[in-house]
Amino acid sequence: MSNDVMTSPGRFAPAAYGDRPRPEGLADVLERVLDKGIIIAGDIRVNLLDIELLTVKIRLLVVSVDKAEEMGIDWWRHDPMLTVRERGLAEENEALQQRIDELESSGGADRG
Amino acid sequence: MAEHGRYLYAVCRDLDVEELDGLLGLEDAIVDGVEAEGLVGLVSSVDLDEYGEEGLRRNLESLDWLETAARGHDAVVQAAAALAPTAPMRLATVFRDDEGVRRRLVEQHDPISRVLDRIEGHEEWSVKVLTRSARDLGADGATPATSGTEYLRQRKNEQEAREAGARDAHATAERVHDALVRVAVASRRLPPQDPRLTGHTGTMVHNAAYLVPRGESDEFNAVVSDMSAAHSEVRIDARGPWPPYSFAMLDDQ
Repeated sequence: MSNDVMTSPGRFAPAAYGDRPRPEGLADVLERVLDKGIIIAGDIRVNLLDIELLTVKIRLLVVSVDKAEEMGIDWWRHDPMLTVRERGLAEENEALQQRIDELESSGGADRG
Repeated sequence: MAEHGRYLYAVCRDLDVEELDGLLGLEDAIVDGVEAEGLVGLVSSVDLDEYGEEGLRRNLESLDWLETAARGHDAVVQAAAALAPTAPMRLATVFRDDEGVRRRLVEQHDPISRVLDRIEGHEEWSVKVLTRSARDLGADGATPATSGTEYLRQRKNEQEAREAGARDAHATAERVHDALVRVAVASRRLPPQDPRLTGHTGTMVHNAAYLVPRGESDEFNAVVSDMSAAHSEVRIDARGPWPPYSFAMLDDQ
């Protein structure tokens, strides 16, 4: 189980500068440099609003649910992977149940 | 002849610019310091064809370009944070010239100083809690179904196990968070990340940043290890230290 505990230092990329280890996940880097840090207006006017508008596609990649408040107790229900899987399973169950009903009723008819 | 602007990475305090020692930023340009009332803005020259309004508009649509810029930005922030209190800027803060940078630093001196006061001597840790993947929670070792009803029963059990797993994982995530905030001075919850970007399996039920005093990382990670040992039903992924990006926001932001 300890190999599931991804703590320092084993998972770090080599330091690019100095001795500090650099975490390497792209999602981690993007969520910090795009969403965090100090916002001050530069002379190039694209830097604030436009980033927020233009990187919508990137944001969709960084954020898997639409709103942070959906991180409540049931946000995992909105996980598209999970939802698709559950829906597929339900349909499969229904089809099988129907087939069993058919077999059982035809078996009953034979005996009768 | 390409026009150039000045890209601002971060604002530091008590930084001796000499210590940057030829650090290279975006487009392999030398990183310089712009001083203003005790603050030092870290800047380098960027081609405005790439970092001007039009260039950014085009480039930000490219994940490859964005990755290069984001990692280049982060590399400078990391290097500075190793030397002095450092407040990172958001990506793509670009000025016409050093005078523009200096003017803004003077204007924002007090709010930026308050951010530096808050983060000085601290670093950030990123902690995620993930459910075991559906495969882990699924029908491992189940005997093949010999009838339709048996098959249905197995599938139902798997589904229930998955749902219970997700509910339990969420409760576990709250316990992990509660334990970590006791050894952190501040925390900030972040939205879960998309597996298409991270490649993770399972469901990310918790993603948060913790501000930890420099030198107390071992204690923080010990709590992570304890929680991992106590909750094998989830994976706990702790990474860092990061410069305190998630805690470097101006008061009104």
